[in-house]
Amino acid sequence: MVKLEDLKKEAQRILKSGKVKYIIGYAEGTNSFMPVPVFIKDPEGVEKLIWNPACVHNLTKFIVDEKKRIKQDKNPDERAIGIIVKGCDSRAINVLLQEKYIDREDVYLMGVSCEQTGVVDEKKLTKKLKGESIDHVDFEDDGNFVVTTEKGKTKIPAEEVLADRCIECKANFPVIFDIVFGEKIKKRVDEPFRSVEKIESLPKKDRWKFWEEELSKCIRCYACRSVCPMCYCDECVVDTISFAVEPDTTAEEKAQKIKWIEKSPDLSENIVYHLTRAIHLAGRCIDCGECERVCPLEIPIRFLNKKMEKEAKDLFDYEVGFDPDQPSLVSSFKDEDPEDFIR
Amino acid sequence: MEKILQKKSFPKWLEKLEAYEIYAPVKNDSSWSYEAINNPSDIDLDFPNTVQAPKTIINPQREIFLEFCRSEDNTLEIHEVLPEEKPGVIFGVRPCDAKALTLTDLVCSGDVKDEYYGRRRRQTAIVGLSCNTPPSPNCFCVSVDGSPHSEEGFDILMTDLGDRYFVKSLTKKGKELIDLGKTLFTAPKESDKKELKKVHTESEKKLKRQIRDVEKIPPKLKEMFESSFWDEEAMSCLRCGICTYLCPTCHCFDIFDEVTSVAPFKGYRVRTWDNCQFPDFTMHSSGHNPRPDKASRLRQRIMHKYQYFVERYGHYQCTGCGRCVSRCPVGIDIIEVLNKVRDYG
Amino acid sequence: MAEEFEPKIVAFLCKWCSSAGSDLAGVSRMEYPPNVIPIQVMCSGSVSPLYILSAFKKGADGVLVSGCHPGDCHYIKGNFYARRRIALVKELLEYMGFDPERFQMSWVSAAEGLKYTEIIKDFVNTLKPLGPQTKLRRNP
Repeated sequence: MVKLEDLKKEAQRILKSGKVKYIIGYAEGTNSFMPVPVFIKDPEGVEKLIWNPACVHNLTKFIVDEKKRIKQDKNPDERAIGIIVKGCDSRAINVLLQEKYIDREDVYLMGVSCEQTGVVDEKKLTKKLKGESIDHVDFEDDGNFVVTTEKGKTKIPAEEVLADRCIECKANFPVIFDIVFGEKIKKRVDEPFRSVEKIESLPKKDRWKFWEEELSKCIRCYACRSVCPMCYCDECVVDTISFAVEPDTTAEEKAQKIKWIEKSPDLSENIVYHLTRAIHLAGRCIDCGECERVCPLEIPIRFLNKKMEKEAKDLFDYEVGFDPDQPSLVSSFKDEDPEDFIR
Repeated sequence: MEKILQKKSFPKWLEKLEAYEIYAPVKNDSSWSYEAINNPSDIDLDFPNTVQAPKTIINPQREIFLEFCRSEDNTLEIHEVLPEEKPGVIFGVRPCDAKALTLTDLVCSGDVKDEYYGRRRRQTAIVGLSCNTPPSPNCFCVSVDGSPHSEEGFDILMTDLGDRYFVKSLTKKGKELIDLGKTLFTAPKESDKKELKKVHTESEKKLKRQIRDVEKIPPKLKEMFESSFWDEEAMSCLRCGICTYLCPTCHCFDIFDEVTSVAPFKGYRVRTWDNCQFPDFTMHSSGHNPRPDKASRLRQRIMHKYQYFVERYGHYQCTGCGRCVSRCPVGIDIIEVLNKVRDYG
Repeated sequence: MAEEFEPKIVAFLCKWCSSAGSDLAGVSRMEYPPNVIPIQVMCSGSVSPLYILSAFKKGADGVLVSGCHPGDCHYIKGNFYARRRIALVKELLEYMGFDPERFQMSWVSAAEGLKYTEIIKDFVNTLKPLGPQTKLRRNP
């Protein structure tokens, strides 16, 4: 079991040492049992830190945000940032290191192990408890979860409410860290791509119907992109939210800027956005599942990115996020790369 | 006019409303949304609240203003496209969402009239369902001059009394709808009226969250414009835009031309929703952006709802539906933020 | 009698090999169907998935990406990158339920004018029975 007291002690120690400017972790939320990200600057503030199965957020996005924000600071504080990372989050750090977006000294990684289980899926848990108001979820030693509701405590087998990505997860222990809490327990994953294979097994007509129905719902709020740590481009090529305009950008440049998709949420525009994003994340997505969790219309976005992860493994024997020194998937090649589809 | 409608007669009433385009909540897996109804059995009025407010019907996300094309003799033709003239009814609207429509009316049908919004608004009747229990653990309508059984913005307000609905008509349009189903409605008994009062009074006590002393907030916000409070609060904001797109009172938009076919040349002038939490929202063509950071955008959203709108129109622009609180990926809680604002300094 | 459906193919041809190959076909007066809209790109490795998706969105019935044979790329490695990237795009489109026959890739060298004409002839014959592409097409 991850001992929260040890986590807090380490957080306090590293803050007192002055080596980090703040620590990003999880704290109690104000409106439900789900925690919220917290930024702790004072050593006394570490009391706010919590660790429980509802800590689903991928905090590495805030490292990316800080990297961008700091460019505008006149006297930037360039100390490292302490961050609590689960196994999946640590893979995200590896990808950021691989792409040289951050340096190793920019982060102080406090890893936590998911041990035998993982994190909960909020919807599955709420459904399982049939609308009872949930106060708290905690880990139990035996691989179950204990849920505290208004009616008391209930034990629930973890596999009934685990997030889908945890069921298919290969990294239940952080792959890169400065200090780690919890034990490394080897987990056997028989079907790492079960969700993708389920869709692949559908006939072509049903597959299209499935995606057409799901992607028609999209309102293009871009929450999936905003929450993804790998979507760090200043100017998103498929839909600009920050068109880098300078005072000396000519009117002609602005008028001729290529608009790949229109702003309106038409099905074909939505498909181009989601497919382009999936391909841009090929070999980079580490399946933290945040995109799917935040989508207000409950679109299964994870299935697209997971497909790319599967193809990276099947076609090119490429594993994402375990090695910060490997080349990126799409700007490297092997002589044995398949070419049977090429005439 | 007050009537009783047995629940089993509700589908029969809908059958009498063939001349109307009917919208109502429909269940999709684990959430609900307002959809056009062809089959009364699709409707699920036993719902908390929908993910998106009924503003999607009155103020759709994509709306065509003009259609332009090049005809065979190479002249450019432009046609205005107005909303289809078909009377509509939206069933199952919660009081917070109906009040939100009256607030948007102040902007879109006030001194300046948005004809597209106005047409849809005028031809759509709003039939409400009062909230016997709070639809969301984050509802706080009472704190912002609302109530779970408020009649503001409705043509008809229905209250669920178990096996029957207490139906109250509030406008001429509402009366017309009830008249179409005449024989299905009965007069309410004294016991019905007593039950209604009991349900309404109890519903107000069930809200779990509140903003205390909300009237102290607008003047406090004005003082706090330059404060570093906003930097702290916005630290975890991901500028994802969910709060604004789901908000029933938000109505900002963008207009641009979409060319959908080059040969033959054809296109549309389109209006879509825009989102003040996107970094590009206030981008000027010179390249200057007055709100480049998350803190200024969060401040903008909260001040617009609780200070600018109050100053201009005398109402809070928030109706307490709780969607932004429930759906924020990082748990930024407007109720907590406002409670902190009130106690700041 | 109804007009027979003529598929529109958008072909991204690399300047140094495939585009030259298509020129050779033209100069040698080889006959092949006129359904192709050739777009010259500097290298098959520069073809972004956005070009392909955009072509389909604008109504292309088929898309062809063609480059130099492995080892012959003018920029040494471009076509190797293309081999990887196009494989990913192809898998994703098929996963969506999109007809996999509509998207093809080939190696055509500057001397292979005949091969180019055969590729186009076969492509048109494959697309004719499939009909117009409606799935990704933006309705005008």
